[in-house]
Amino acid sequence: MQPRASKIALSSGELSFYAAGEGRPLVYLHPAGGVRWTKVLDELAKSFKLLVPIAPGFDGTPAHPSVKSMKALAGLAAEFMEKTVGAPCDLIGCSFGGYLAVWLAAQRPDLVDHLVLECPAGFRPKGHGGRPPDPEELKKLLFLHPEKLPPETKTAEIEAGNRKMLPHYGYAADTDEELLALLPSIDKLTLILHGTADRMIPGESVQLLKSRLPHAYLVYIWDAAHAIEVDQPERMLAVLTSFLQRSEGFMVNWGSLAVNP
Amino acid sequence: MKFSFFHLMPYTHLELESHECPFPNRYFDAAKASALYRTYVESMIHAESCGFDWVGCNEHHFSPYGMMANPNLIGGALAYSTRRSKIAITGNLVPLNNPIRVAEEYAMLDCMTGGRLVAGLMRGIPHEYLAYNIPPGESWERQREAVQLILKAWTEPEPFGWEGKHFQYRQVSIWPKPMQKPHPPLLISASNADSAKFAAEMRATMGMVLLADLPSGKECIRVYREAARAGGWEPAPENILVGMHTCIAETDDEARRHLGQGLKYFDEVLMGGLQASQRIVLQKTRYFESEESRDRWKSRLDKRRTLSLDEQIERGTVLCGSPETVVKQIRRIHGELGHGVFNFTVKVGTLPDDVIRSGMELFRDRVLPHVRDL
Repeated sequence: MQPRASKIALSSGELSFYAAGEGRPLVYLHPAGGVRWTKVLDELAKSFKLLVPIAPGFDGTPAHPSVKSMKALAGLAAEFMEKTVGAPCDLIGCSFGGYLAVWLAAQRPDLVDHLVLECPAGFRPKGHGGRPPDPEELKKLLFLHPEKLPPETKTAEIEAGNRKMLPHYGYAADTDEELLALLPSIDKLTLILHGTADRMIPGESVQLLKSRLPHAYLVYIWDAAHAIEVDQPERMLAVLTSFLQRSEGFMVNWGSLAVNP
Repeated sequence: MKFSFFHLMPYTHLELESHECPFPNRYFDAAKASALYRTYVESMIHAESCGFDWVGCNEHHFSPYGMMANPNLIGGALAYSTRRSKIAITGNLVPLNNPIRVAEEYAMLDCMTGGRLVAGLMRGIPHEYLAYNIPPGESWERQREAVQLILKAWTEPEPFGWEGKHFQYRQVSIWPKPMQKPHPPLLISASNADSAKFAAEMRATMGMVLLADLPSGKECIRVYREAARAGGWEPAPENILVGMHTCIAETDDEARRHLGQGLKYFDEVLMGGLQASQRIVLQKTRYFESEESRDRWKSRLDKRRTLSLDEQIERGTVLCGSPETVVKQIRRIHGELGHGVFNFTVKVGTLPDDVIRSGMELFRDRVLPHVRDL
């Protein structure tokens, strides 16, 4: 499914976003590498109205001079949700986007229904994990199955531009203590996804989140590194769609093990 | 050197050869089995007082080869009758079972024994896959995934879900958790290069039994050590377990006579049905990931079958003789392999239980004092 590229005027400037599909709105906040239209997004767009805002400065878009922190960026994403959806909706954040989604849920709980944190950044124990500067090393940490990666469409210039935006937003390499203190106040039903081979976000990060968020489920996706969507899209979709459709009921096995019914 | 007293718990009251698969259970006599279980468990309890560091058993199905469909039940029987020895379940057949159940039962045993469990996580021999109707071609994938899931179940501080290829659980939070931290020591079979690498990757003790010869065992140890170093750790001698059929008697002749008779039953009766089913599995499926591993397995069993007891003693693949002879054999094999755990398979076929008992005492009095410090 080809996403439609659009723009919307927000208080700090114009924001680019992609939209695809029809149905219940679902907002997806992208990782530090920018928007990668994966099989997961494609499949979600078959059941949801998927909205994917591009954080200013990423993927060749202009930065908003007044938006210089993760907290402020979360405020901008909230404004985007208010204007495009206007009611509580499901929110997914991937890695950098997961960090952002936690800030958004903490600041504007009125806009969030289900919260999905896909290998979220922002809660790394000091000295563990992290994003290496070397592109080859980064690729090794991102993908356990690089053969599943679709052809790269971003130019080296855009990738370099994306990397510069992390310090622009004051992206914390280690745990964001201010946000950590807010976790117990986030009462949204939350699904945390983590690849069993993720070395960029260590297991301690998601365990910490799970222990502090009052209504969270943590699910490990086996045989996936940091980029779960690329390494194991089917496994991720199986959990994610069940969670979005059934809320707590996703814990129940609704299928059948009967081989010859 | 640590010593392990391992029991196969065979059914020994058959007077026929059978190459059927599965072995027809019309020949099974529950009263006889009941007496065997008592004898076997008592002998395992006695092993502790004979100086054995580990007492163990494993899992087999649909065959008189071993009557331990669930070895954890035997572990439970040993938990409160032993005080010091490790209870080595060598092990549960991970790809055949529910991994969460394995994690739970092992955690129970570890708590019940006060942290004495050695947790074997085995792939199983080919014929077990017929018993539980598990595709042999998926054995390695299931093994890899299940072992990782079991480790998570033991160590994860929060409830978690698991979305894998073969196993899916929405929320796991086992009660009890193991006593040993971060988890009980692992033992994984490593009789070929693939399994040796996997054991090293999982930082498990490697286990080898039924060796065809010492050079092939040495090669597996080399692969294991190399893979461990590549993974950033250095195995200690205690991380290498070598298992052999063992018979200790007053004289060499006596030991040979008893083991020879036991081996005849072992090879002709107990192994009969297994070999037939294994041929089917090996020919028709991808139980082994590489041709090389499959050929190595077949050649190992073929070699063992065709060798006389004298040849096996000569090759250093069984321990058999007077205490003095066995001391020499242990020293020679240790000199070649450098392992730290010697696993004695004591009940070889119909080898009489009173011979095993007296062999255990000979081990305590006349073998162990000379090899303990190896």
